[in-house]
Amino acid sequence: MLKRATLTAGAIALAFPVAAQAGMDEAKALVETHRQLPGWEAPGEPFDARACMADKKMFVIPLTNANPFNATISQGMKQAADMVGFELTEWENQMQPDQWIQGIAQAVQEGYDLIDLQGGLPPEFLVPQITEARAAGVKVTATHNWDATTQEVPDFMDGAANTDYVTVGNIIAAWAIAQSEGNVNAVILGPDEITPTAPLRDAIMGYLDEHCPDCSYQYINAPVTEWATKIQPAVQSALLADSSINYVLPVYDSMSQFIVPAIRIAGREGDVKIVSYNGTPFVLDMMRDDDIVEMNVGESLGWVGFAGVDANMRLLCDEGTVTKLNTPAYIFDDSNVETAGVPATFNDGYGDVHIEEFRKLWGLAE
Amino acid sequence: MRQEFFEEYEARIAALEERMQSFQAAIDAETAAQSRFSWKDQLEKYGLLVAWVLLILVLGIFRPDQMFSWPPYATMFGSQAMVVILTLGLIIPLTAGDFDLSIASVMTLSSMLVAVFNVQMGLELGPTIFFCLAIGAMIGLINAFFTLYFRIHSLIVTLGVGYFINGMVLWVSNSNTITGVSMNLIEGVILTRLLGVPIAFYYGLILTLIIWYVFEYTSVGRRLLFVGKGAEVARLSGVNLNRMRTGAFVASAIIGAFAGILYTGMRGAADPTSGLAFLLPAFAAAFLGSTAISPGRFNAIGAFVAVYFLSTGIMGLNFLGVDTFVQNLFYGGGLVLAVAISQLIRNRQPM
Repeated sequence: MLKRATLTAGAIALAFPVAAQAGMDEAKALVETHRQLPGWEAPGEPFDARACMADKKMFVIPLTNANPFNATISQGMKQAADMVGFELTEWENQMQPDQWIQGIAQAVQEGYDLIDLQGGLPPEFLVPQITEARAAGVKVTATHNWDATTQEVPDFMDGAANTDYVTVGNIIAAWAIAQSEGNVNAVILGPDEITPTAPLRDAIMGYLDEHCPDCSYQYINAPVTEWATKIQPAVQSALLADSSINYVLPVYDSMSQFIVPAIRIAGREGDVKIVSYNGTPFVLDMMRDDDIVEMNVGESLGWVGFAGVDANMRLLCDEGTVTKLNTPAYIFDDSNVETAGVPATFNDGYGDVHIEEFRKLWGLAE
Repeated sequence: MRQEFFEEYEARIAALEERMQSFQAAIDAETAAQSRFSWKDQLEKYGLLVAWVLLILVLGIFRPDQMFSWPPYATMFGSQAMVVILTLGLIIPLTAGDFDLSIASVMTLSSMLVAVFNVQMGLELGPTIFFCLAIGAMIGLINAFFTLYFRIHSLIVTLGVGYFINGMVLWVSNSNTITGVSMNLIEGVILTRLLGVPIAFYYGLILTLIIWYVFEYTSVGRRLLFVGKGAEVARLSGVNLNRMRTGAFVASAIIGAFAGILYTGMRGAADPTSGLAFLLPAFAAAFLGSTAISPGRFNAIGAFVAVYFLSTGIMGLNFLGVDTFVQNLFYGGGLVLAVAISQLIRNRQPM
């Protein structure tokens, strides 16, 4: 009996590191996959976009024009529309709901065929206006708002081209596991009120749970309006309370500007690293200039713009439904951060394979 | 007809003299009261300090390892220095009876200009800091001009000027966050430590002591107080109201600009909006501080204690791992309760 118990305990002891090693191998493989320059995967069958869009026009309402993230997606959308040759109008606003409402009314009044709520503008805030626009025959979509796998597009929308936030969250967790050799103690931060936070947060925590038995973490909710006043004290306190914390994982990289001073002031520079998502230029600059930001998952926003326009055109032309943007997630670290530009931009470093491929897909190639 | 005018003016002058005498009597009574020991007065003066100690003790019951050790306080003293300075900037115009709602915008503009001058234009730190402070002074003069020349309430002027500055910040930064500020600035704000506390704390402490001295022991400080308590009386007593209020606006804006320099120094980066979030915490600390040390008056040491009292609460709640909303409940609820208790002790005299 004793022998059997000993054997069982031995088997568990042996199996545990095996499971941990398997998790580690998987994490390293995921990281390696996303270190490669983004490749092309067509979102659907080729179609004659110019002919279909000849009499149609699109109206884009970004979350705000004051955010370079949204502005760069809009630029990509305009570039795509110019390439195809149809009218695309961007509605200037500063993240005020009354301006969004006015934008929808304007689009309906001027006979646009489609309204795209771009880059995080929450459609849930505008259900009456969206319903009214759809009743007037205007299609309403969203680009880069919901998660492509865990969140459903509500019935009051005609469609949405979504992002694979789960993969992004997995990459962040996989990187921390791989770099720390399976010894992550992380502070994860996110603003719960923002739509993509839940899939990103849950993916990071789920991946750590599943692939790293020795890893631990704590989660802090930091609403966007309180980033400046809340993040630094919260991270400082966490670092002071637990000296074994080695990673801070904010779900959006813009939060890093409040985390860096917390790490410095707590005297933990060198021990604690930041890994995050968005490929925001100033965070890539921080990575290049300092040693606190270790890795950032980015995506070409120009590509997001092209992919969003592709999904919208397919909806208007009855060419099938696209629910997931085909923009790949790409890892920036010290080894390749300079390819993002000095100073970094939202578009450099990813290559531009998408431009030629979308041109072919839309029947525009010579 | 002229006789009637003279009589009316004489009556008004007599009424003002009566008010001046009543002010003098109040000051005399206050001085006399200060010379007599009273537990109630002591509680009123040092209540916030006592509450701070109690707060540490209560939180320490749950988290003794953190709440009863020095490093968390050393860290907090450094990281909150910028809020202390912003609050000190606020209490100057508040003492003169004016609100400066543009101070957080000035801080944000200064923070961004440090990055623009230093990173994008390659200017050395010395001239960068000088220009930022000078631009702060200029904004103070603009606030004073519109408030005093056009006789518009300072609340309206500084609200408008603040919005205008916010637009300027978005313009000069192209809505971007700028990083790469000289490491010398970061060294001079948080990386250099004295007794384990980042040097920024000592900037806040020195400024607190300067403003405390000016308010308590100089004629300028006294005149500023008179302007705030009774502008007309102060004017008839020979105080140059315009000069005093202009000085208060300019001092507030320069201090706001200084807070902006520290804000960039703390992060090594500047963004166009986040600094605005500090306006309400600074006002909260200014009002909470006015209930302590010199109760009923905005005072520097009270403001200093108030910032760290509120920060200690937030730090303790962070250690306890409570939800974010509890921190807001503590901040807002603590402010209103503390001021209400202080008012009860002061027999509900107008603040």
